[in-house]
Parts: sequence; structure tokens; C-alpha cells
Amino acid sequence: MKRLVLARRENPTRGGQPLAFLVGLVFALVIGALLLWSSGDPVIDTYQRMWERSFGSRDVISATLNRAVPLALAGLAVSIAAKMGLWNIGAEGQILFGATAAAGMARIGDSWPGPVLITAMLIAAAIGGALWALGPALARSEIGVSEIITTLMLNEVALRVIRYLQSGPWKDPDGFGNLQVTPLPDQAALGNIWERAHLGVLIALAVIAFFAWFMTRSVWGYELRIAGSSAKAATYIGISMRTKVLGVLLLSGAVAGFAGGIELTGTASRLNENISNGFGFAGIIVAALALMRPSGVLVVAVAFGGLQVGGQSIQLLGVSSAVSAILQALILFGAIGAGVLSAYQIRLVDRKVA
Amino acid sequence: MRRRLLLVVAAVLAFSLVATACGDDGGSTGGASDDVTAAWVYIGQPGDAGWTFAHDQGRQAAADATGATTLTVENIAEGSPEFEQAVRDFIAEGADIIFATSFGYMDDMEKLAAEFPDVVFDHATGFKSNDTNFTNYFGRVYQPRYLSGMIAGASTTTDTIGYVAAFPIPEVIRGINAFTLGAQVTNPDVTVQVNWTSTWFDPAVEGDAASALLEAGADVIAMHQDSTAAGEAAEAAGARWVSYNSDMSAFAPSAYLTSAVWDWGPYYTSVIEEVGAGTWDATPYWGGMDDGIVKLGSIASDVDAALVTQVNDVGDQMTAGTFDPFTGPINDQDGTERVAAGVSMDDGSMLGMDWFVDGVDGSAGG
Repeated sequence: MKRLVLARRENPTRGGQPLAFLVGLVFALVIGALLLWSSGDPVIDTYQRMWERSFGSRDVISATLNRAVPLALAGLAVSIAAKMGLWNIGAEGQILFGATAAAGMARIGDSWPGPVLITAMLIAAAIGGALWALGPALARSEIGVSEIITTLMLNEVALRVIRYLQSGPWKDPDGFGNLQVTPLPDQAALGNIWERAHLGVLIALAVIAFFAWFMTRSVWGYELRIAGSSAKAATYIGISMRTKVLGVLLLSGAVAGFAGGIELTGTASRLNENISNGFGFAGIIVAALALMRPSGVLVVAVAFGGLQVGGQSIQLLGVSSAVSAILQALILFGAIGAGVLSAYQIRLVDRKVA
Repeated sequence: MRRRLLLVVAAVLAFSLVATACGDDGGSTGGASDDVTAAWVYIGQPGDAGWTFAHDQGRQAAADATGATTLTVENIAEGSPEFEQAVRDFIAEGADIIFATSFGYMDDMEKLAAEFPDVVFDHATGFKSNDTNFTNYFGRVYQPRYLSGMIAGASTTTDTIGYVAAFPIPEVIRGINAFTLGAQVTNPDVTVQVNWTSTWFDPAVEGDAASALLEAGADVIAMHQDSTAAGEAAEAAGARWVSYNSDMSAFAPSAYLTSAVWDWGPYYTSVIEEVGAGTWDATPYWGGMDDGIVKLGSIASDVDAALVTQVNDVGDQMTAGTFDPFTGPINDQDGTERVAAGVSMDDGSMLGMDWFVDGVDGSAGG
């Protein structure tokens, strides 16, 4: 009897990863072409449109970069926790609560000058995100409750907090009774630096560069790597696993919350429940595709941002939103699948006889 | 590539015009309307019932009537960058009119209207506008709500009607109040119990909300929701149902009583024609049954013929402008008089309505 197993490659080919992604992409595009063809949509036009409306002009490139910002920061947040083998599935809620904290700061400082206010909002956003991760972090570090469930469940709670604020405490007095909060003051908007790309693009770049250094070159990052690969070894050399688990989840939450602050000041006119719009979950995919590396997160987020921006535009060719969503998912799936296959190989082995 | 696509679209449209021109007199008004490109941003997918379905039916009717090129995008989240991108995609494709069909698109509409002064921005359910190229549109759906309430009031034997409602905002509260006032015409003892769902479209939540109302004694369910789930719950319980947005009789045929429905076609047609002719101006629109933008849907065959006549009479009075549902005396839940006898409520008070009429069981605060 034979069976299939997934075994880690002993000597992965150098540069195999990008090549695998390329193969995965081509594979996905071919399957996608079949899908488009079977639903009666124009194949070449669809792909061409997708490219033109994501990377085809300065205007759309700047939109793609803006979209990449929350994706990159959410991906970074997930990858930070993953270094310790922890899964932060709650970036969505941390983004929302970070944005909520930033909006709260804007209510306090609505007469402050723009740079001061925005700085205060972004700090509040990071603290808010960390606060939203605090419960799951403590539950994990102190009594070992799985962070996967707790972080996930808090996403819905963050949404309800915004709904509550919309319905009463922060309700827009000029909103004719509709459920919306008061708009942000004008000076709370991040300015544009190039075409439609806002300052958040540069800020995100700086944050990622910092973490690329911090995770690999700092003592804290070094200890984290040890703790992530062997709890025993870490404990032996005096690293407290409890503080590391707590710290890394709070840091992950802070980065996600910061993403919420950037998204609020960069793209929104007021706090709303779609500030995160799936970025927190997409961050998990970004982190996985980037193999949990900050530099990888950057590249993947830009590609993913383009996929989202361009993927939406093909609806104008008559492609249904469902087919557009499947097409985007196929491309991600192809890339992830290829990533797995470059690190692992499928082997046919003899089934053990019991 | 784009040119070729436009040619194909134009050819298809030309063909469909020839096909429809034989059947009815609605055909193209000729002139500039068929040069217009109109684009719709949808919050959901058209599917085969509900809010987005009704808008898409209107779009198709307008396309057939004017020959305009129409574009759509679906599933665009409110307050997300998706909306701005959708509008820019439309404008890159040559759109002359943007119809945005959900409230939360308002801030982005305002911003983009300022950036693209040559494009008409028309926003459903919103309240913002400028004097040049940005306005809003909606319909007085409380009118058919009132009529559907008359039928529901006569149908309940427990004197309890359940109302599955989305969010406590004036639009929804106005509908509940009009429905209740209508129900009281045919059943002075009726109570309308409100169950808030905090969702516009979530079949599981809406079905559960309807079931809870049915268990609490309601035998008729009304709703301000986008799915048919409340109707299916009523059908399963052997109760009756008043649907909303579009005629949903096919989804719960024995429960279905009637519905308050939208017919956006005439409005979309007139905007496209006015833009084509260069006569469009940015006046906010809030039309009623007289314009045909809102109407009572089909009425179940087992509803008493005398009642149907009574309902149609009241409907005719509303169409003629001789009767308004919010005519006093109207008291709120606390017994305070809100509208004096013989007085009709003004539009401003209706648009900000945040209180329930006497007879509603529930909190207008959510």
C-alpha cells in the first residue's frame, strides 16, 4: 500500500521561492481563464483591465500603494506574533479599536494643529490596538488560553463598540438621526505625497524597516527568535516565556491598531465600521505569503493591494463580483500553494502495516 | 481595447432597443440620452429580491427607455476606499452620472463631486448636495407602508404584528410608524412589536428575529430588511408576512400578504434624459406614489375584496395628494401629541423622526 505525504525538502533550491510563486501565479491565471471563459467573460480583456487598473498608470499605482498600507501593517502584525508561534487572528478587531482610539483622540484634540493631532491619533491607535490584544495576551501568557479563539472573538466586539458610539455617545448631531459619528476635523487628514498616495505609505515603510531591524538585530528580537524556536532553550538561558508571549502579542496588537489609525487619517472622513474591511484577515494571508518576513510583507502587500484594486475594476467589463472574488482568491491560493510546494515535497511512501 | 468594448456594448444596446421598440411605446426619446453613460454602485448583489435588486431593475428599465450605456459594481463597502476606486473606474470608462445606492457613500460622493464637476453625482438615501453636480434622491416609501399596514392590521387575529427592523434611524422609524398608523385604521387594538437586528442583510439573524416575534404572539410579520428570511420564518410558522423592497411573494407564497416596493426605473430614466438634454439640476428628490417611485406590491388573493377596495381608495388619495399618512392627531408612545388634529407633518420633521407612534411596542432608540 502506498500513501501521499507532505515532507519538508531537505535542500530547498536557492531562489526557489520566487520561482514557485511565479509558477503558482501562472497556474492560477490559467484556471482563472477557464473560469472566465466558462462564465462567458472576455479572458484577455479581463486580465488586461485588471493590470491597467492596478499598476497601469500613476493614478492607480498610488491607489494600489494606499491599499497596500493596511495590508502590509496587518501582515506585519500577524508575522510578529507568528515568530513566537502565536496566531493573532484578531488584527481585524485591533485595527477597528485602534481607529476608534484615534477617533477618540481627534475628539479631544479637534483644535490642535494637524501634525500634533495626527501624531497623537497614531499613538492612540497603537495603544488602542495593544489594549485590544491585552486580554488574549494575558489569557495566553498566564493561563495558556489559545489566542486564536480569543483574538478572533474580540473582532466582533470591536465592531459593536463602533456601532454603540454611532448610536449615542459620538453620534453626529448634524446627521439627521442616522447612525454615523461626527466627522474628523479637517486637519486630521494625512496629506498626499504623490498622486493619490498619502503620507501613510512612507510611514508604513518606516515601520516595516524598523521591524526588519528590530526582529533580527535587536536583543529583544534575538530572544524572540530563540523563544519561538525552543521554549526549553529560552527558559534555560533565562528568557521568561511569559513576558515574551505577553510582549509579542501586545506588539502585534499595537501594529494592527496603528494600521487602523493610518487608515482612518489616510482614507476616511470619519470613524466607521468598515475601516478594517477585511484587512485584518487579509493580513494573515500576507504574512503567510511573505514567510513571516517584514521585507516579504512589503512586496506581498503591494501585489495584494493591486489585486484588490484591479480585481474590483473588472466588474465594469460585466464580470460578476462573485467571479471577480473567485479570481482574486485563485491567485492567492496559487501563490500560497506554490509557497508550500517549494518548501515541501509530495512523496509517495509505503504505508506501514500495523 | 476599450473602444472595441464600447462598440460591442453599443451594438448590444442597439439590438435590444430594436427588440423592445416593437413591444411598447417606451422606446428611446432619441437625441442625447443614448450618448449618456450612467454608473451604479451597489452595496450588495442584485440577486433576485431586495434593495439592490430593485435598483438593478430600475437601471435596466432606464437603459431600455433611454438607450444609455450602464455600468455597475457590486459589493462595495461603505466608508471603505473601494467606493472611491469604483467611482474613478467609472469615470475612466466615461461615466456621466454616478448613482450611489447606499447611505454610507455620502462623504466620498461629496468629495468626488468637488473633484469631478462635469460628472453628475446622485446619492440615494443621503442628505448632502451642492448646487451644481451633487444631489440626493429617495422615495416616500412610508406611503405604501401605510397601505400595507391596513392589510396587516386586518389580517392579525392576535392583534399583534411583529416588525423585524434593521437600525433605529429615521428612515426605518418612519416606516414602522406609517405601517402602525395604517394597521390601526383596520384594527384599533393592534400592537406592533419591533425587534431590531442591527443588520440590513443577514438572513440568519433576520429569520431568528422573526421567529422570536412569532413565539411572542405575533401572527403577522412585517420587515425593514433586505433578505426574505423573515418571510420564510413566517411561512414555516403558518403566519402571514408583508415584504419590502421588491415583491417577494415567490419566497413565501402562503405567508405573503402584500409589500411596499420600489420602482426606480422612472426616476433613473428621467435623470438620464435630463442629463442628456442638458436640463438636469442638482435639486434633491423625494418622490412619492404620485411619481410611481414607491408602490404597494401585489396583494394576496385571500385578502377581503372590500378591504382591497378600501386600500386602493386610500392609495388613490395619496397619489392625488389629498391624504398624507402623517396627518394628526398623532400621539407618541408616551401619549404626547406630536401632530395636531388636521395638520400634516412637514418633511423636515419626517426626515428626523426619532420617536414611535402610540401602538408600537419597542424603543426608537434601538
